[in-house]
Order: sequence, then structure tokens, then C-alpha cells
Amino acid sequence: MPRASSVVSCLTVILAGPLAGLLVLAGPALPVGPLAGLLTLAEPALLAAQESPRAQQPTDFTGVQLKNRAPISNEVLKVKFPRPSESRLKNGMELMVLEEHRSPTIQVEIAVPASSLNDPEGTAISGATASLMRLGTKTRDARAIAETLSALGASISFNISDRYAYARFSTLTENLDAVMALMSDMLFNPTFPQDELDKWKNQQLSQLQQVRSIPDFLATERIAKAMYPDDRRSFVLPTAESVKSLTRDMLVAHYTRIYRPDGGRITVLGDVRARDITPKLEALLADWKGAGTKPPQLPLPGPIKGRTVILVDRPNSVQTAFYLGNRAFDRRSPDYIPAQVMNRVLGGGPASRLFRNIREAKGYTYGISSGFAASHYMNMFTLQTSVRTEVTGEALREMLKEFADIRNTPVPADELENAKRALVASFALSTENQATALSNATQIKEYGFPADYWDTYPEKIAAVTAADVQRVAQKYVPLDDLVIVAVGDGAKIRKVLAEFGPIEEWDAEGRRRTTP
Amino acid sequence: MSAARLLASILTLALLAATAFAQSALKPVTFSDTRLNNGLRVIISEDHYAPVFAIAVSYAVGSKDERAGRTGFAHLFEHMMFKGSENIGSGEHFFLVFNYGGSMNGTTNTDRTVYYEILPKNQLDLGLFLEADRMKSLAITKDNLDNQRNAVQEERRLRLDNQPYGKSQERFNEMAYDNFAYKHSVIGSMEDLNAATVDDVASFFRTYYAPNNATLALVGDLDTKTTLAKIEKYFGGIPRQPAPKPVDLSEQELTAERRESMVDPLARVAQINMGYRIPPATHADWPALSALGQILGGGESSRLYQAIVKDKELCTGTGAGSGARIGPALFNVTCSVRAGKDIKEADAAISEIIAAAHATPVTEQELQRVRTSARRSAVGMRESALTRALTLADNAVLYNDPNRINTLTDRLSSVTAADVQRVARTYLRPTNRIVMHTLPGAGTPPAPPSPQSR
Repeated sequence: MPRASSVVSCLTVILAGPLAGLLVLAGPALPVGPLAGLLTLAEPALLAAQESPRAQQPTDFTGVQLKNRAPISNEVLKVKFPRPSESRLKNGMELMVLEEHRSPTIQVEIAVPASSLNDPEGTAISGATASLMRLGTKTRDARAIAETLSALGASISFNISDRYAYARFSTLTENLDAVMALMSDMLFNPTFPQDELDKWKNQQLSQLQQVRSIPDFLATERIAKAMYPDDRRSFVLPTAESVKSLTRDMLVAHYTRIYRPDGGRITVLGDVRARDITPKLEALLADWKGAGTKPPQLPLPGPIKGRTVILVDRPNSVQTAFYLGNRAFDRRSPDYIPAQVMNRVLGGGPASRLFRNIREAKGYTYGISSGFAASHYMNMFTLQTSVRTEVTGEALREMLKEFADIRNTPVPADELENAKRALVASFALSTENQATALSNATQIKEYGFPADYWDTYPEKIAAVTAADVQRVAQKYVPLDDLVIVAVGDGAKIRKVLAEFGPIEEWDAEGRRRTTP
Repeated sequence: MSAARLLASILTLALLAATAFAQSALKPVTFSDTRLNNGLRVIISEDHYAPVFAIAVSYAVGSKDERAGRTGFAHLFEHMMFKGSENIGSGEHFFLVFNYGGSMNGTTNTDRTVYYEILPKNQLDLGLFLEADRMKSLAITKDNLDNQRNAVQEERRLRLDNQPYGKSQERFNEMAYDNFAYKHSVIGSMEDLNAATVDDVASFFRTYYAPNNATLALVGDLDTKTTLAKIEKYFGGIPRQPAPKPVDLSEQELTAERRESMVDPLARVAQINMGYRIPPATHADWPALSALGQILGGGESSRLYQAIVKDKELCTGTGAGSGARIGPALFNVTCSVRAGKDIKEADAAISEIIAAAHATPVTEQELQRVRTSARRSAVGMRESALTRALTLADNAVLYNDPNRINTLTDRLSSVTAADVQRVARTYLRPTNRIVMHTLPGAGTPPAPPSPQSR
């Protein structure tokens, strides 16, 4: 297929909600590969050595035939995480620097406490504020900013997530000073030009229409509303009304409130020494003082009771896009680790049961996977797949059968060992880029984990038993208590879906239908 | 130019001038390049930064090699390569790679099919064995074929039939070519996928999946000499086959614009796809075309973005770029038309931008951005063992030039304004153009009885 950037990939609708990251925009010009459709769910990285003799008892690995003749090393590489150096700037911000001199690039992230979840429901204020910071300063207009970035081969972005307001840049080493100067101009002197806001709103309104043609978006929208109906977490994208109602004054006020350094953290990764970048950051941020806003405390309710089938009628669909899920646990839960192992068995990657059964054995889908979202605000187990319309019922039945199996039957020893080894061994791959090491270090701070959390991760994984796996499966793999979102041709799938529970029907515009 | 912009330009120049760091020269990617007696080309590049290695096996076969009635077959075949061989069970390939900490995939385009793994360094034998066993002894059964036929048909639905712009993109490609080789889509038609037989698989395997039709590239934490010995052990016994007949990819020159429009019932906003026929990626004009693509449509500083997204607000997204093929390729321009705007107006605005590239040379600033971008890409490519392995293998198979990994950056950097103007005039002519307008067929249906919007 042609290499030109596809129009879909140019979609820059601001993703406003914490669920936004789950939305995968599939363009028509993607590469064609046997596993390309797989969602890659991030696995926590770890390190360990563990000898695991191959199991003796035969296990039914549905969808896979094992001849066991390939030469395999049973050694699991021990990989030591580098730790970032830590210090504090004069204005009180934490600084973490992880040097990596392999390649002449540097990435910097400035994060200050703030939250898009504080926005009034459905609003675009955080997204608009962050976007407009790239579109004008006292001395540069949007075009000059774009041209300068392009000349420097750098990128600068602003973003307000559910926990932090970010300013980030990435640059070639030789352009560090120039990019820092530009970033600080955008961070401290944004002007929020009225004409840029008008254009931005026009673009967003058009893209809010366009995105309604994409089945994955429609499914994500409904699962978010089902999981968190009562607060801002239910909005994957802002409403058109809230985009229209934005004014320049609102953005200026929001910016002034939000971008304040107290409680903030700077992380630096790449080809620069801590002792060289520190004075540069001191100079840049010396006058930046004060407290901004705090992320909200939101309830983390347990699983939703009962079974609901949410049908989004998308006429002319040839597939049904499924999103199955329920609320689970937050990142600090002790169940997090056994749940990682459990999911690796159930739906984490091509060696998992869901993939082997529903794609390889049954041929119902091109890709299928499950995973946990676990943070301060999101706690969900979800399964995502798309199947041809004709097998909507059979495929759903198989998914539920897998859910029932992992809840009802202990995982066989060799399957458990495979899952545990995979989680530990895959860490070696993440050492090519130290971003994982840095992200692990920030997670320790973010969730108040002990300093040796990642050093002991392999032992924690190794300690997980078949009984642990079954326990977390029964607790978090939804079966009777389950939300099923199905996006497809209502006329063809309404009847079969009704066999799985009471149907709540919506149209592709996001409107509830009372009587189908 | 506004006062703010003028000032900004001055500041930018000042910033660039003040840059204290010298631009470090990029270290070339070094590699060994040998051939086994059976014709398998082997490229090895050591990199001991991380305890991993990547394998890429690129076969000189793609959808261009398909015959009428078998569109989509090269890609369907790619799926068959994961369904087992003499010593590897069906699906065992990905089962082992993922369970031992690695990752893998394969991908097919018009010109080649490539398979790859990235694994912890202690699994070198596993990686080589998996690739050698299927090159030597693919298991070809009707069950495996039917099973992967299903998966591939779901892939077609997922990417094309159930997405907006999928069908018009496929039609656009058909309009762009007359020679069957490139005229049909890589994913193929449902009908042809259904028609594929076990005999087709067997003969395709024999013809194209021979060692002399492939390049094996390894990059990472390994020792060249011992790795070569292992490669000889695992791959050396696979017999050479007669070289496949080269496919004629030639096209008659276009003499008039080809233009169509299509209503897409899944789309909600209009889209423009334009393509201009350009020569293969090995042609001397290709670097200048690549530079032109970036100047016209690469990112927010590009001419198209500034004109049709920002100034005129006719589109919400746009892009342009030169396709890279071993045969006639396309220079593509795309635009997602803003809801409520006239697609004809957007089309005319794009043509105006292209006409300006005929009339006036691009600026030194624009060329500087092309050079910076080339450097940035070269740096990025060096950061991943897998990207290097794929680039080396593809460059060998497609262009017989693995060292293109090092030379392309320089060629892109030495493009001049005169080169860009010349290629714009030569190739971006209205009579050399294919245009598809996709019109939205999905609207807002009439409101249901009692909507409860939330």
C-alpha cells in the first residue's frame, strides 16, 4: 500500500478522557501482517533468572500443535535496570535524569499536578488549552513555531492528562539549547490567539463527526460511559457543544491556574549529563513558582453487577466490534501481579487462550486480546476484538467459554510456567531503550511503591500459583457481571445478542434508542 | 509576513546560530554481507548495546507476483508460514517466540514479504531454527489453508470493508495502474482468497521461498563468526531452486488525468486521494521526489498544511509523500475535507499548491528542514535492532543494495532546489494524475422517537 501518510492518521481530535488511550484508530493504509491487528498491552518490565523445566503432563493448547523440537535456552536473562539520578531544582521540582548516550537525542518531560478530570463534564477546556499552547507566543505565531520545530528536527507537545499537565520535548542533542528556549517561550508566553482558537474549534467539530465512522471509537465511547457513568471519566471525547462554547478567556484562565510547578517533576532521558542539563533547567525555570490545581479524588467502585448488552447500531457494518469488560482494581492493588499472570494465560498476546481459540482454531477474527487498565482512576478488565457479522453469536459464546474456563479450572502447570516466563523474559527487549527503566522509576514514586519494587518483581511473578490465578480470575474476569458492547449492523445482530442479556441500544450518533 | 513572524524568523536564525553543540557525524551501520552456497544472502551487523537480537528474512515475492484469479495470495501465503513445518507444529512458532520473551510478525507488500523476530540474545538458535525450518519444509495442508483464509478475510474486513475510505482506497489503486502486477490490492478480493488451493501454496513455496530468493539479516548482541557458522548449519542444506521469472512491471505513460468519485456509506466527511506516477525508488529522481513530498505535505510546517488546513480551512488533515517501489510508484497527496466544505474547492487548492512548486524553486529553509528530517530519521532507525535488520534485508532484496541504509541520508541531503523544481514539473503534471473523491454516504439519520443523549 502507498506510503503516504493516511488521512486517518492525521486525525488529531483531542483525546480528552482517561480512556482515550484505549482508542485505536485503524487507517486504510496500515501494513498487512498476520498479527498487525493485535493490541499491544503494555507489560510491566522485570528481570529475573528462573529455570523452568518443561512440564510433563500434556496440556491442551488449543489452536497450537507443539512438536517440542526447536532448540530453546531455558535461561532467563538477568537484566539490571539503570536508575535515574535524582535531585531537586531550586523551585522545588523533582528532577530525574537517566543518561543514555547511545544516540544523539534527548527527551524531556515536565509534569505538574493537574487533571482533565476536574473539567466540567463533556468539556474540551484542558485539551483546548494544551493544544493552543503550541499555536502562538508573544514573539512567534503558529507558523513560525511549526517552521522552527521542523528546522530543529524537534517536537514539543503539551497535554493535560488525568493526573498531570505536561510539557514535553524531544530533540537532537546539538539543538538542545534552541529547543529549550522555544519550549520555554511556549510554556511561559502563550497568547492563545483568537483566530487560532476559531480554527481549532472548526477542526475539532469536523473531526468529531469523522470519528463517528470508526467502529473502535464507538465501542470505546460506550464502554467508558458504562464503566464510569457519573463523572468526567465517561467522556472519551468532548461534546460538540462544549467545543463551541470555549472562549479565549476560558483558556487563558485555565492556563494560568494549571501550569504551576509545585509538586511537579521533570524527567530527562538521553544524550546529556545530569550536571549539564541541571543548570540549564534551573536557568529556564528559576522564576516559575506557585501551586496549581490538584487531581481529584474519585471513587474506584468495584465491578458492576449484572449483565448488560450495549448495541451500537452501525448500518452497513460487515463486522461486529466487541468490547467486553468490567471494573477491576487500581494500580496499587496486591492483585495486580497475579492478574498480570492470569491475563497472559487468558488474552495477553498470541500465545494466549483467546487468540489460540478464537483466531487460530475458530478463524472468527483477525485479532483478539484482553488486558487490565489500572491507574489512579481507571480500573478495568477489557477484551477487544472484531468478528465477521455472521459469527457474532458463536464468537461471543466462545469468549464467554474462555472466561468461564479460567474462572472454573486451575491453570495447568506448564501453561502457568509459560505465562510467568514470558512476563519475565520479555524484559530483555525493553533494554534497547531506557524509557522503560525511567517509566518504572516514576511509577515507584507515583504509586508509593517500595524502592526495590522492580528489583523484586521477578520473585513476585515467580511466587504466583495456579490458585492465585484462579482467585483473581474469579474476582475480575467478568461473566455474570459483565458489560458487552457490540458495534455492528443492528438488523443482523440484534436478535443473537439478545440471547446474552438485556439489550440497551444506541445509534452511531451517541443517542439512546428507547424502542429498537 | 506578520511582524510576529518576522521577529520569529530572526529569533530562529539567532537560536540556530547560537547552538553551541556541533552536529556529530552519524556512525555508519557496519555489516558483513555474504552468500551461502545455496544462494542465501546473509547480512550481519553486531551491536552489543542491549542483550537482544533481531532477525529479518525478506523474500523477493509480493503481490506483484500474483496471477489473475489469485489476488491476495502472497499475503495469504505469509500467514501459512506460521502454520508449521517439519519440526515446528502449527502455531508453535509464535507460541515459542512469545513465551520465551520475544516478539515477531510478518508483513507483505507489492514487492516483498518479510518475516521477523526480536528475541533475548540467548535464543539465537531458536530464532534461526524457526526461520530455517519453514524455509526448508513448510507444512502445507488444506486445514491450515482454510483456517488462515478465514483470518485473512477478517483482516480484509477489519482494515478495508468495515472502515470508511477502505473501498475507495482500493479503487484508487486500481485506477492508478494498467499492468495487473500493481493494479490489484495486496489484501486481494474475497473471491480470489476463496479460490486459493493447496496446490497454489505448494507451487508458490517452491518457486519463491527458496534460499536464493531471500536475504537473512541479523542485528544485535551476537558474534558474526559463530552466528555465520550457525546459519550455515541451519540453512546450508536447503536446496537452491531455479530463479523465478522476473515480472514485467512496466506501465504505459499516462496521457490524461483519471478521475472518479465514489459514495462511501461508512464515511462521514469527504476525502481526496491524488496520485502521480513516479519512477522506482532506485531512480536518480527519487530523493528529490521524497524531498518534494516532505516540503508539500510533511507535518505542520508543510505547504499543504499551512494552506489548506490553516489558512483556508478546507481540510482537517493532509499529507503527501513518495511511495517506494521497485517498479512504478505513486506520489500521493491526501486530504480529509472539513465537514461542510466543498471538495472541489479543496481539490483546486491542492492543485494551486502543486502549480506553485512548478513555478518557483523551493526555499533554502525548506531544504534545510528536509536535511534535518533525514538526519532525525537516520538517528531513529539506528535506535532499534529490528528496524536496522528490516532495512538491511529489504534493501538487499529490493534494490540489491544493503548499504542504502547509509547512503540514502546523504542523497536526501544533497537534493537542490533545482532538482525539486525539475521533478515537480516532470512528474506532478495534471495528465500524470489519478484522483479519487470519496463522498460521505453516512449522515445523521433522522432523530429517533425520544433520544436521551448523554
